[in-house]
Formats: sequence, structure tokens, C-alpha cells
Amino acid sequence: MSRDKLIEVKGLEKHFKHLQVLRGIDIDICRGDVVAVIGPSGSGKSTFLRCLNLLETPTGGQIVFEGTDITSRKTNIDKMREKIGMVFQSFNLFANMTALDNVTAGPIHVKGMKKADAEKLALELLERVGLGDRGSAYPIQLSGGQQQRVAIARALAMQPDVMLFDEPTSALDPEMVHEVLDVIRKLAETGMTMVIVTHEMGFAREVASRVVFIDEGVIKEENEPKAFFAEPRNERLKSFLAKVL
Amino acid sequence: MFSLDRLVKIWEKYQSFYWNGLQMSLIFAVIAVFIGLTLGLILASGRILYKNPRDNLFAAIVKMIVRLLCTAYVEVFRATPMLVQVFIIYYGPGMVLKIGDSATNRMTWGVVAMGLNSAAYLSEVIRSGIGAVPGGQMEAARCVGMSHWKAMRYVVLPQAVRNILPALCNEFVTIIKETSILGMVGITELMFRSQTIATQSYIFLEPYIIAACMYFVVVFTLSKIISAVERRMSKSVTR
Repeated sequence: MSRDKLIEVKGLEKHFKHLQVLRGIDIDICRGDVVAVIGPSGSGKSTFLRCLNLLETPTGGQIVFEGTDITSRKTNIDKMREKIGMVFQSFNLFANMTALDNVTAGPIHVKGMKKADAEKLALELLERVGLGDRGSAYPIQLSGGQQQRVAIARALAMQPDVMLFDEPTSALDPEMVHEVLDVIRKLAETGMTMVIVTHEMGFAREVASRVVFIDEGVIKEENEPKAFFAEPRNERLKSFLAKVL
Repeated sequence: MFSLDRLVKIWEKYQSFYWNGLQMSLIFAVIAVFIGLTLGLILASGRILYKNPRDNLFAAIVKMIVRLLCTAYVEVFRATPMLVQVFIIYYGPGMVLKIGDSATNRMTWGVVAMGLNSAAYLSEVIRSGIGAVPGGQMEAARCVGMSHWKAMRYVVLPQAVRNILPALCNEFVTIIKETSILGMVGITELMFRSQTIATQSYIFLEPYIIAACMYFVVVFTLSKIISAVERRMSKSVTR
């Protein structure tokens, strides 16, 4: 591939006590890629995503982010995480802060940005996710869809080079799913590099530049979306798609 | 037998003596809780020392030892009676490390003993208050690049304080009652004074009933205030 590699994953393994979840994952993620990760539950796709920013510590293999081996003990992981945005299934907005403060927390406390500048940036971002008027609301006062959009704005506020989405719509009421997907779709159009673990097959087909199928801790199939859904080769993927489509 | 007449007489005669005793009890309670809170915070942080899988062996061992020591402290102080602790601290370090004249010395070590005891309980309150903050909050904070300590400071602890505050106030109320133990080592708080009045006047029931009433009024009022505040806090939108 001609584009530069943003993340290189080599032989990534993870086991919890005796349970081996990842059994050697190899993948390169390039700038501008939108990678959709699908797979049955328990296949290790969330664990894979959480290894990319070391929320889970890999037990084997290597992850190279922008040329730095982040699995090395010497790497300052906090510095790396500034460039890796993360959006969770359960939103995880800071419950003690307003929506606006949620977005400014990173820029102010991590980057040392001035409060006024951070708030200006945060307002722009909240505007972008369609919540310019809800800055003073606490997470508990927002709907699930709104919370998730604030969470996306919070991650974007650090101006990351890549965004990781861990089943961003799985905890949402069906009618709120589209508002979150719309935001992610628009983000993809800006050329943001993204890795999205999702169960939304239609969304994966439409937005992703590549789709990856993880099962039993390894990548069983990887392809561009059209071919991935139209002509699956792996038997397990065939039966998986037959069930979910 | 109980006589209201005697009670009123004793109250009229020793009123200011009682008030001073109550004042001392309250001051001791405040100091003890302050010591307990400070030390409890240290113990709690020791017990929840962050297990970083990237730590080297040395750091991991040091953290394990600190955790172990803090846990041992808490368990020992929670599993022995406070009266025994007060005696041991008073007759142990209190007799060796004299602080001021005998009255000051007694008070200092008495209140230190209560603080040390309270620290064990408060560290558990703090620990569970921090533990009650969902793990996702810490993860999300780390994901915007905050260090473990920044995440604690800006995200986890502010939420933990809300969980801790009611239990902390309750501990204060409990301590007020427990200061009565300090009378046993000759500190002239409310209970000691009631005892003094009893032995001086040969009237035994009424002086203690007055003390009981004084404890009751203070403790009951405070606990009612606390539960009212608690109710209001649970109603607030930010939890």
C-alpha cells in the first residue's frame, strides 16, 4: 500500500489467566483507513481494540503506532493516548462534569490549553455533533445518543490521529443509533482514520474502507466491504453473515 | 431510684461543668476525625495502589509491601476494641513520649488513639467510595491522555467524595459517642465529668442520665441534619 502506515499490529496475543483471547493478530492500519471489525461475541474484537491503546496490556506481539513500539515499557503511554481517541459502548462520560467540561478536560488538563481556548474548541466540536446548545447539561440529563455524541466530541478535542470505536451504538435505543452513526459517517468523510468494532453490518458496508472478521482470536478474513459481504470465502464468516444479515 | 428533683438540682449545680465536658468531647471528636481522615486517606491510597502491568519487579514488590502493611493496619485496628487500643497507646507511647504536663499528655495520646482507630474505619469508607466509581470513568480519563493521578484528581476523586461524604459524617457522629471511652484514661470529657459528679455527690443514676441526654441531643440532631443533606444530594441531577 502506498499510504503511510499509522498502526502496525504484529502477532498480537492476549490471554486473561488461562483464557487465550487473541491468538496472533496481524494487521496494518494506514492513514485515512476506516476499518470495521466484526465478529461473533467473545471472538476478541473488543479486546483487540482495547489493546490498540493499551487499555489491555498485550501478552505477546507488538503494536507500532506512528513508528513507536507502544508495547515497550519505555514508551510513555499517556503521550501516545493523546493521539488515539476512544469511544466506548457505555459512553463513560465524566459524570461529575457538564458536557462542555467533558470536552475541555483533555485539552486543559493534558495539553495545558487555556480555558477560554479549550471552551471555544469544545463549543465548535459540540456544534459539529449537533449539541451546541447542550454544553451546560450533565451526562445524566442527556439521552444515550446525545451522551455518545458528546463522547465523540471529547475524543476529537485531543485532535487524535486515529479514533477507536468500541461498539458505539450497541447500548443505544434503536431510534438513537442513526444520530450517532451520522456523526461517525461525517467524521469518515473528513478523512479521519478509524477502527470501528460494530454489529451494524449496513453501516460497515457503507462507511468502511476495509472490513475485518475476527473469530477465535485471529483475523479470519479481511477485504474491501463490497467483496467482503458479497463473496465471503471463510466458512465461519459465511455462517456468521447468514445469521446477521 | 430515679428522681427528677435530684436531676434538676444536679443540673443546676453542675451545668457549666457539663457544658465544658461536652465541649471537650466535641473538640476531641473533630480532632480525631481529622487525624483519621488524613491517615485514612493515606491508608486507602496504599491499599488501592495502582497495579500497573508495565511496572518493573522492584516497583511491583514495593507496591505489594505497602498494600500489605496498610491492610494489616486496618485489620488490626478494626478487630480489636477501641478501649484496649486507647489503653495500649496511652500506657505505651503515651508513657514513653511525654507531651507536656500530665493532663496535656493524656489528652494528646487519647485523641491520637481515637484518630488511629478512626483512620482504620475511614480508610475503608474512602476505599469503597473510590471503588464505587465505575471503572469506565478511569478508563475514559486515561484515554484522553490523563495520567493515573490526573484521572484520579479530576474524574474519580470528585465523584468518590460524593459517595464518601455521608459515611464520613456518620463516622463523626459515632466518634462523638466514642469519646466517652477517653474518660477511662482520665481525660475530663463529658463521661469523666459525670463520673466525678457521681462520686462527689453519692448520686449515681441522675448524673449519667444528664450525660446521656446531652449525647443524645447532639448526636440525634447531627444525624438528622446529615440524612436531610443526604436526601438532597441524591436528588441532585449530578448524583
